[in-house]
Amino acid sequence: MIKKILAGAVAASFAMAPMVATAEQCSNDTWNKVMSRGKLVVGVKADYKPWGFRNTDGEIVGMEIDMAKNVADTMGVDLELVAVQSSNRMQFLEQGKIDLMIATMSDRKDRREIVGIVGPNYYTSGTNVMSPKALGLTSWEDLRGKPVCGKQGAFYNQIVEQRYGAEIIAFTGNAEAKQALRDKKCIAWVYDDSSIGSDLSSGEWDDFEMPLNSEDDNPWALAVPKAEQNCVFGRFMSGMQYQWHQDGTLAELEKKWGIKPTKYLQDKQAQYNDWLAE
Amino acid sequence: MVTRIPGITKPTATDLPVLKPFLPRAHPVLHTSAWLAGFSPWMGLVLFLPLMLWPFASHAAGNFTIIDAFGTLWNWVPFLLKSGFLFNVIISVFAMLIGTIAGIVLGLGQISKITITRRISWFITQLFRNSPWLVLLFIVLLAFPFEITVFGVIIMIPDWMKAVIGLSLPIMANISEIVRGAIMSVPTAQWEAAESLAFSRQQILWRIILPQCFKRMIPPWMNWYAILTMATPLCSLLGVEEIITLSRQAMEAENNHPELLVPFYSFALGLFFIYCYPIARMTMYLERRYAVKI
Repeated sequence: MIKKILAGAVAASFAMAPMVATAEQCSNDTWNKVMSRGKLVVGVKADYKPWGFRNTDGEIVGMEIDMAKNVADTMGVDLELVAVQSSNRMQFLEQGKIDLMIATMSDRKDRREIVGIVGPNYYTSGTNVMSPKALGLTSWEDLRGKPVCGKQGAFYNQIVEQRYGAEIIAFTGNAEAKQALRDKKCIAWVYDDSSIGSDLSSGEWDDFEMPLNSEDDNPWALAVPKAEQNCVFGRFMSGMQYQWHQDGTLAELEKKWGIKPTKYLQDKQAQYNDWLAE
Repeated sequence: MVTRIPGITKPTATDLPVLKPFLPRAHPVLHTSAWLAGFSPWMGLVLFLPLMLWPFASHAAGNFTIIDAFGTLWNWVPFLLKSGFLFNVIISVFAMLIGTIAGIVLGLGQISKITITRRISWFITQLFRNSPWLVLLFIVLLAFPFEITVFGVIIMIPDWMKAVIGLSLPIMANISEIVRGAIMSVPTAQWEAAESLAFSRQQILWRIILPQCFKRMIPPWMNWYAILTMATPLCSLLGVEEIITLSRQAMEAENNHPELLVPFYSFALGLFFIYCYPIARMTMYLERRYAVKI
């Protein structure tokens, strides 16, 4: 008799499990933590100008920092910035060291499984190469079997290697990679097209060009902890991004930080435009 | 008039066995401090020489000149010193402190009369003495939590503090060997003499053996401090904010001109030399002063 009751109880508890899980799914731990301590900790880049970099006083500034400030102001809490690297940003978020990550991260499928990526994406960039004009590269196929410099942690290193058979030499810093390009250790430097564009327009790379068509146009995403993705924090960040697109905040910031205006932001603004406005 | 001793300054005049005169020699110097202290003080200037030669070596492409590069470096000097090099010093001081205390305990454990204590101490010492520092750093930085809760109070552990723990492990193991070696270097006759005067083992250790060891341990101890300080840039690989990490970020903020590489890294090199060189000289001085006289 007791056995039967026990078995029944066990069966019932298994049957209840999914319901309990659903109820527990939104504990909103991170959101509540941020609100109760009155401080939002955001992981940003400190080595990716102009999205996140240091000024000479050591403060982190940049476009993504302005976005983070806007989030903190909207929530009515203080902002604390933590400098993250491509290699540790998702881990910091998983550990709870940071509450929110806005760190030039490309929106990839494998990354969505680890952190709570919420749309709409706030930026996009493609992959291109900078190479000496003298080489006259015309297609990505020209890279096959040749040494190409890159930055550690960039997802497209692997793609360029697999798709076009280039031999990637990855550096920790961009300065080192560019020096290697000048020293002719590699025939090209593979990086974000927007960043290469601003380098070329600086007038110090007159012998170089961006000869190929940008590939893998990849949206960038901010992320909340995975558990918060479909809860208050995730929904809130979706709303923030939607608003930034709609009222042109992102386009303004882009201008403020001297980034070449992208078609993506213009398109998004048009797409989300209020049909009753004007 | 040169003294000519058969068998030493001139060929032997006899094939009979001769007892050669004993020539005392300074004990061999093989360690880092000796190497570093071997430089003359003006070596610091020589280290800055690549800085001076750099403009001629680099392809002077574009309009970003070496003057601009130095101007840029100058702007960043206060930040690099205050938030960068200061942390290298703090990390090295705390790692040394923790490593020394733990190392002394472990070293004494290695000469314990209790077999199990001796074995465990020996094992820990060998384990950390023979592991790559970077691997230990990786393990500590990734395995330790970033905050701990003690009685409901959340205590944050910053990255540099984890780096302190990671670097103190190999230091601990090496100090342990220094302590063990120093104690073993005291002639056993002293133990026997003390025992015959009815000192207990603890008394012998604290009152007779260790005071003699102390001065012998200072030179190798300082030697390890210099090595540790020079190893702190390893933390940059893990994103701990110290001078190399911040130099990279500073170069990024200045648009990654390749011309910046040599000035920035030479600056860090110069700082480490200025800090470690006096320590190396001091070590050599103490070593000479406390050298075992035969």
